[in-house]
Amino acid sequence: MLSRRNFLKNAMLLALAPNIPGFLAQTARAAKPEKDRRILVVIQLDGGNDGINTVVPFKDEGYTKHRKLLCLPAEALITVNDSIGLHPALTEASELLNAGQLAMIQGVGYPNPNRSHFESMAIWQTGRLQRGERNGSGWIGNTLDSTTQAAGAAGAVFVGGGQLPDALRGRRSSASALTSAEDLVLSEAVRTKPMVAAQPAGNDLAAFVQRHALDAYAAASRMAEVAHSKQDVAGYPPFELAARLKLVARLIKEDLGARVYYTVQPGYDTHAGQAPNHARLLREWSGAIKAFLDDLAAARLAERVLVLCFSEFGRTVRENGSGGTDHGTAGTVFLAGPSVQAGLRGTMPSLLDLDERHGDLKVTLDFRRIYATLLDRWLECPSDAVLGGRFEPVALLQGG
Amino acid sequence: MKDRQPSNVPPCWSRYTPSAEMPWDVRRVVHLHRRATFAATWREVRRDLEEGPQASIDRLLAAKGGMHGEPDRFAQTADALADSAMGSGDPGRLKAWWVYRMLNSPDPLTERLTLLWHNHFATSNLKINDLAIMRRQNEIFRRHARGRFGTLLRAVVRDPAMLIWLDASVNRKGHPNENLARELMELFTLGISQYTEKDVKEAARSLTGWTMEQGAFREDPSQHDDGAKTILAQTGQWNAEDLVQLLLDHPATAQRLAWRICDLLMGEGTVRSAAVAALAEGLRARNLDIGWAVETVLRSQAFFAPANLGSRVLEPVAYVVGAARALELAKPAPSSMVLADWCGRLGQDLFYPPNVGGWPGGRSWISPHTMIGRANFAAALLETGLVRQARPVDVLALPKCYGRGEDVGAVLAFYSELLLGSVLDPTVQEQLLGSADSRKSATPQTLRRIVARLLASAEAQLG
Repeated sequence: MLSRRNFLKNAMLLALAPNIPGFLAQTARAAKPEKDRRILVVIQLDGGNDGINTVVPFKDEGYTKHRKLLCLPAEALITVNDSIGLHPALTEASELLNAGQLAMIQGVGYPNPNRSHFESMAIWQTGRLQRGERNGSGWIGNTLDSTTQAAGAAGAVFVGGGQLPDALRGRRSSASALTSAEDLVLSEAVRTKPMVAAQPAGNDLAAFVQRHALDAYAAASRMAEVAHSKQDVAGYPPFELAARLKLVARLIKEDLGARVYYTVQPGYDTHAGQAPNHARLLREWSGAIKAFLDDLAAARLAERVLVLCFSEFGRTVRENGSGGTDHGTAGTVFLAGPSVQAGLRGTMPSLLDLDERHGDLKVTLDFRRIYATLLDRWLECPSDAVLGGRFEPVALLQGG
Repeated sequence: MKDRQPSNVPPCWSRYTPSAEMPWDVRRVVHLHRRATFAATWREVRRDLEEGPQASIDRLLAAKGGMHGEPDRFAQTADALADSAMGSGDPGRLKAWWVYRMLNSPDPLTERLTLLWHNHFATSNLKINDLAIMRRQNEIFRRHARGRFGTLLRAVVRDPAMLIWLDASVNRKGHPNENLARELMELFTLGISQYTEKDVKEAARSLTGWTMEQGAFREDPSQHDDGAKTILAQTGQWNAEDLVQLLLDHPATAQRLAWRICDLLMGEGTVRSAAVAALAEGLRARNLDIGWAVETVLRSQAFFAPANLGSRVLEPVAYVVGAARALELAKPAPSSMVLADWCGRLGQDLFYPPNVGGWPGGRSWISPHTMIGRANFAAALLETGLVRQARPVDVLALPKCYGRGEDVGAVLAFYSELLLGSVLDPTVQEQLLGSADSRKSATPQTLRRIVARLLASAEAQLG
């Protein structure tokens, strides 16, 4: 697959004919400007985000009944409507909401919630509730298995340290991992233009490698320019998640061919002293995501990008004795970008009418219906095969 | 040694004899070592050039290679490295052990094939999480690397690593788990679309009763489903052994094995399906003798044909280990832990293949960030030697040692022969030298950079 940028470059090469190697001319002729592909960016809020204190149902009597130390006063909240307000740290998220770029889906989970981080994360990452149904591959890996990838392009890129998340493992496809922008900067000793033979490369494979070398060195030199110029992309707050999203934005701008980018914001397992930590996490999340979308919008790329933020579970309705909350059930999922149907989506479960068996929030929307929506209507990959069954898409994106 | 030639070689795998069109030259010696081992030193290139193709291949098959030529000391050091990996629990040390073997083994062909089987039976320590089990599986790959495929397959599927990897223990009578059955058919033997979903289900029933106890294989008759099963149109009360035999006897297995060996030794688009079929037929006639097939391909005209030269993307391990080996960095030797780490950064993390399908290989090794990674590896290798106390490589040492010229042009010519097997395209050469301050009296740094850029070039990614 040739990107538009490559197409333009190749068009220039064609104009230089006949001085260009035959293989490049051939490729340039073969290239057509194709529909720019859509991109999904996934942010895993690791540890179990307290959805109740993120998108707060302050009018629900259960809220003040169950939350004492952690109760956010109604007047401090950022108003969404007469019963729901956002955590005060979510300034940028509310701006996104007002700009029609943030959907907040409430009551999301799955039947028979599992409160183990490991199990529940495995369920979210694979889209399979039963252990026996999992074969080591994740929902995004399955997606990329069933769509053809351009040779040489990673279908998915994981940005961050540590292990590749299971969500990205395919039975056949695989994702690549980047720790930092440094991975895309050339050492000084080799920082020169790649060499090109005057004679056409002997075969198609040599041409392929040559072309990728040219692309890579060009991308690296633009990366270096960005890194060395003082005029960094403005607006990113100085947090780890923001740095990662900034790198994702760069990769998208460089058109490195991935359809899915994945990163993790850890720290949501707030069993004790939740208030300050949760506020910090939400401030970082909301600032990073706003800066990311603004950056993409400035580059006229935002229309191609959809951001999904999920957590393995919500937290207990009742706060515990240490100023925190424990592993809960239903939580809040966020979708961000210009293509979302912004606002509150789904149904917020009542904080008084709890699930009898679990004593926690009732699940009002199966997360696999959100995946089905993203697969069928965003990535344009039939969801049935990926999810191992039919899940009805939900109206979350513009145009249905 | 002429009688080492495999008997009854299929016509499309006829033996290579040097000719004016296909001379036994540096290019072909380098090619042989790139494919069958982890690159040759210049000493080995000169030796093989003199001895001729058949003697060179005899030597490879007889496992008389290696950097130090002291097999006992090699084995001792390697074992000590593996033991220290077990003791530390650090996967990086286990990777380092294997890289050490690749660099120094007197039998590099077997190491090359061990890597092939690690990819064919791709098992990741991500799930196994036990270095002793991973090492044990790796030793199985090595022990049977050139033996009969049936022996290899039986050893691998009964070994704890595979049983854990593909959930054999939860596959019980009445509760079949298809994981092992499916991959056994799709990946290890027949290949996709050679069987039905029903075959997979029935195969899973045959495998019930295979389990693990205290880290060892065990057969539990009480969990075995001994009912009748129909697999690949044959009905019987098949158990796991029967299933493996059914699969080994199936022609598709020989076909897949032949493809696997061609996939290792032959380049992109260089093998016609008739040639794979002929190799498969030969394999069937010889009880799936892997060594026979490897030897047949290595000695063939097709293997040394111009179309097969430089027709593969070097996999990261071959690129990284090959560069370190060809440059003879011995005093001090580059850290094998660091080399293994670079392999991982370039996409081939030993003992951690991405999934049961193994590394996709071929063109998928090349992406913008792996191209940058490869260039950075080349720079790091030359600038630091990849040793604890960074020490720039003296690139004049080798040309001096081998009596080659020491001016910039001669140094570049030497390294392009050593690393690419050929003299560079003149314009590429011009571009490389263009950065040298002065052609005659280049500084050591300039020379190092020229070699680093050569190693980073598109040409050097192919082998």
